[in-house]
Amino acid sequence: MPSTDGVIIKKVLPIIYVIDTSGSMSGERIATVNAAMRECEQVLRDKASDSPDNELKIGALTFSSGAEWLTKTGLVSLEDFYWNDAKAGGVTDLGAALNELNDKLSRSAFLKSETGCCVPVIIFMSDGCPTDSWEKSLAKISAENRWFASARKIAIAIGEDADTDILKKLVGNVEAVVRSNDLETLQKLIVAVSASASMLAGKSRLANDEASGGEILDNALTEVEGDVEIEKDTAPVDEPAPAPVDTGDGWSDDDWS
Amino acid sequence: MAIFEKGTVIKTEFGAPIEIVSYIAGGGQGDVYVVNYNGKRKALKWYKAGVMRDPDAFYKNLKRNAEHGSPDKAFLWPDAVTEHRDGTFGYIMDLRPEGYYELGKLLGSPKYNFKTFKAATDACLKIVSAFRILHNNGYSYQDLNDGNFFINPDTGDVRICDNDNVAPNGTSTGILGKPRYMAPEIVVGGGKVLPDTNSDRYSLSAILFLILFLSHPLEGKRWLVPCLTDALAEKLYGSEALFICDPKDSSNGPVRNIHTNLLNRWGFMPDYLKDMFLKAFSKEVLFTPGRRIAEVDWLKVLVRFRSDIVNCSCGNETFIQNAATTKCDRCGKNVVVTNVLGLPAYDMTAAKGSRIYRCQVGICNADEALDPVMAVVAKPTGELGLKNMTSLVFNATTPSGKSKQIAPQDIIPFIPGIKIEAYGKTVELK
Repeated sequence: MPSTDGVIIKKVLPIIYVIDTSGSMSGERIATVNAAMRECEQVLRDKASDSPDNELKIGALTFSSGAEWLTKTGLVSLEDFYWNDAKAGGVTDLGAALNELNDKLSRSAFLKSETGCCVPVIIFMSDGCPTDSWEKSLAKISAENRWFASARKIAIAIGEDADTDILKKLVGNVEAVVRSNDLETLQKLIVAVSASASMLAGKSRLANDEASGGEILDNALTEVEGDVEIEKDTAPVDEPAPAPVDTGDGWSDDDWS
Repeated sequence: MAIFEKGTVIKTEFGAPIEIVSYIAGGGQGDVYVVNYNGKRKALKWYKAGVMRDPDAFYKNLKRNAEHGSPDKAFLWPDAVTEHRDGTFGYIMDLRPEGYYELGKLLGSPKYNFKTFKAATDACLKIVSAFRILHNNGYSYQDLNDGNFFINPDTGDVRICDNDNVAPNGTSTGILGKPRYMAPEIVVGGGKVLPDTNSDRYSLSAILFLILFLSHPLEGKRWLVPCLTDALAEKLYGSEALFICDPKDSSNGPVRNIHTNLLNRWGFMPDYLKDMFLKAFSKEVLFTPGRRIAEVDWLKVLVRFRSDIVNCSCGNETFIQNAATTKCDRCGKNVVVTNVLGLPAYDMTAAKGSRIYRCQVGICNADEALDPVMAVVAKPTGELGLKNMTSLVFNATTPSGKSKQIAPQDIIPFIPGIKIEAYGKTVELK
């Protein structure tokens, strides 16, 4: 008789945080983000450790004057996910972060897996306006990188100065940008969005549902309901981001970078 | 997030009090509490306001289900629906017993694996049996997935939860199902094709395969793409669904060192069981919802498989082949089969505890499929006997040609050569 031990094989679900650590984030803002990320460690372990649907792996990229991965060696599995506090200071080089993403969202870099990946989730957090040539970087990554183009992207705008128009262009989906003006709500929101992203595959679908950044956000918002400081931005974007590349190209296994 | 404090009292729609005891957990749809109701500890599921497309129709359906009562004790069925409060409502059901875990956990974590194949097979039998009754009562479940079953991994006992989408077959509650468990026609239906009994039967086959092979039936080579986008998933689970063990098309076959569970287990399983899965996931059945395997056909093979799982003296479960002495694959000793029951369709291993069910003797209707007909019993000395488990009198012929009658509950010694007439068929002791 074969052994009854074992687990079902799973695909990797990458959840990648892209966090603004520019000077304007210093003080309470970055402290709140750090506290939320520490909370995420536990919440994600509780919710996703034994998941039969996928194996969660986490990446974290910060940007200020330049961009730097906190998970330097690649995506980390839940048991190895321990948050090291990010520090704020410098300018807002969003373009540098996009270039880093473009570089690492690849099968030959961070997305190496024998069983392959689910569509990645990318969660952006920013409180300001980019200071570098981010538009060029966005056009480049959107055109070149199918992982980025297909990713379910969500943006959390922190405070009133955050430029939601830019965030909308970044995520390419008006339904997936949310603004939080108070820090307590921000912390809850980061945790709820993370939990919702981790559980999307395990959720039963209703007619006309679409698995998207917008749905992840909607599910998260039902968790933090009642907080008036949350403002989901539903205004149309002036200049839509390029449409995701059609990936229904048969069963080819060409490199996705 | 708990909205109700301990001690809060809400009412059922007919006015009976429900007292909140403690908060258990929350999910996307709502929260679950322990409550006191009608002198007993029960569970209350309380929906979040605004999560349903059509709350009035949902409420009506839930109320109707509660009034009709549970079709089988395996279901954690709605006992009563609550009054409306703050624009929403909930329902009362039995609590999940201790030691039962979500099937998803059993599949996803080695801590919760089934202890034995017998337990895994028993879980399959209980699940199929419960759905047979549900379907025969005119319901469809609509959202069958690995989150609906609480299973005791030691015994294989099952409780089925989330019965709030159960509806008369042909009606919709708005649910489509969970990705990876939805039938191909639902996956490609773009929200226009809604679940029914036939799509339930696809999901049921997938769950049985997952339990017995610890692998998904459609997640072969094609599933290993670098990124499973929504468009590719629609092909894999929908328009181009292809069984990982399809004998004619290996383009979605298992890959060595990756699909190890399947490769380790497939070769061990008896042909009659593999044949049933080959049929359930053949292209014809995948794409013709009306041809899905009926529960009674699963019961027949699962009952047979259960009787073929015998413990070797080394403790290893051995799958007996053709009801004959089989070598244990762990210690190499023979697991000796001395007694055999010759059923109309095949020979079955007879050991203490073996049972013949109604679906193994001649044609029967689905309701009686799992009724025990005869059971193998043993004296403390090890001498075997056969007990009549029905309320009927069976006629038997001894090896010397004498006729005898076996009254209900009577036990006859297990003597090779005895032939028993039951339901117009013959069962022979060998």
